[in-house]
Amino acid sequence: MSTPLIILIVVAIILVLMYNSLVAKKNQVENIFASVDTVLKKRYDLIPNLVASVSKYMEHEKSLLEEVTKLRAEANKPNISDEHKINLDAKMSSALGSIMIAVENYPDLKANENVMHLQHSLNEVEEQISAARRSYNQAVTDYNNAIEMIPTNIMANFMSYRRKQVFEIVESERKNVNVKELFN
Amino acid sequence: MKNVSELTDFYYKSLYPALQKLEADRKGLRKKIVIVAAIYTFLVALITYNINTAYDFIFVAYIALGTIIYKFMIHDYTHEFKMNVIKPLIKAIDSSLLYSSKTHVSDYIFNRSDLFSTPDRINGNDYVKGNIDGINIQFSDIHAEKRTKSSKGRSSWHTLFQGLFIVAEFHKNFEGQTVVLPDSAQNTFGNLIGNWLQSKNMARDELVKMDDPEFEKEFVVYSTNQVEARYILSHSLMKKLLIFKKKSNHPLHVSFIGDHIHMALEYDKDLFEPSVFKSLLDYKVAMEYVQTLHLAIGIVQELKLNQKLWSKK
Repeated sequence: MSTPLIILIVVAIILVLMYNSLVAKKNQVENIFASVDTVLKKRYDLIPNLVASVSKYMEHEKSLLEEVTKLRAEANKPNISDEHKINLDAKMSSALGSIMIAVENYPDLKANENVMHLQHSLNEVEEQISAARRSYNQAVTDYNNAIEMIPTNIMANFMSYRRKQVFEIVESERKNVNVKELFN
Repeated sequence: MKNVSELTDFYYKSLYPALQKLEADRKGLRKKIVIVAAIYTFLVALITYNINTAYDFIFVAYIALGTIIYKFMIHDYTHEFKMNVIKPLIKAIDSSLLYSSKTHVSDYIFNRSDLFSTPDRINGNDYVKGNIDGINIQFSDIHAEKRTKSSKGRSSWHTLFQGLFIVAEFHKNFEGQTVVLPDSAQNTFGNLIGNWLQSKNMARDELVKMDDPEFEKEFVVYSTNQVEARYILSHSLMKKLLIFKKKSNHPLHVSFIGDHIHMALEYDKDLFEPSVFKSLLDYKVAMEYVQTLHLAIGIVQELKLNQKLWSKK
């Protein structure tokens, strides 16, 4: 076999490998976003229940509850983009955080079995969401690295792959971890 | 649970009468062993001198028979030691714990942990089982070996794992399998090549890159499920495992399979055995017994396994 032919074959193999690895990374991101979506949906499903149980008591936080309901309705709309979902999740996390803090001001509410149940369920879902978010961020980081690093960036450019957004941890969420509450 | 210094106090105060008696036994035994070893070696040397051939065979037989004689000689002393020192120590940590000097964690559980390739022979002793803060826990010494055959057809045993093997219930629900191993590739070859090598490990599931740099440097994680692996290995558990690893100062393998956490700590020696040539009152000797027991039984609190998720209560 002539040398140019060998070089051509090697180059072709490298190109195929690069292409495949990029596709695999993109699919990994989508795949993990599907799990994020599942757990987010799980949390959204808890919200009507939560709103129903606390609205009787929470006169002053009506606007908070309305916001949560509105966010949920928006998240349930079909065909919304991943970026939009990520933004909605951030807003939802902080709104739910505020409600949970507000619950502390109502001793009746805190002792309510139904609310307690919801709180615990929410905490569990939050942990799952956090795990899903971390997985998603790692997949996106791998993907972003691949489309920015040499040599795969050239190929990514041809395939018109764009950078994807990661989940950012909401400031209020960082503060809200109350271990005692989690495990009582 | 008592802390290490309280246990050390217990060792030197409450166990002192037993230790003193054992010390006397030990000194007598040591003398006996030296004498027997000298006679035994002299006899073997005499035989070798007369036969004048098959040196390697004689050497292997010398070591093998010597080990058997040694084990036989220290048998009673070992038993006395375990019943009068190790058992009370375990009871002092938690009186509900059960101790058996002869058995070990079942082969089934060891194989389930998926931390090492399937062994052909599992030995072990010093089995402890009990319930700490509502969490079932068991651990023992384990020596797992695999048989390999050379091209000549001679089989030999090599060690897969020797050390402390701990199993406990885990406080979160999960379905897949997640394995945490000491990171050798990344330490040897650096991040880029090490990571690439790890992702090509055919014997393991998918590589999971964790978002804690220190943890990632120390360990490598494989799992059947990327999200679940992170659900199990929360930021706080990663921190706790790192602390545990530093405290134990031995290579640590962890796996999360079938609602349980399995931990294998490589010591490369049989633990909880009485020292024959060093005094039992030696601080270092005492500390090893105390610390190892405290470390194993302490994992429930150390890793906060007792803080069960609400849906698991």
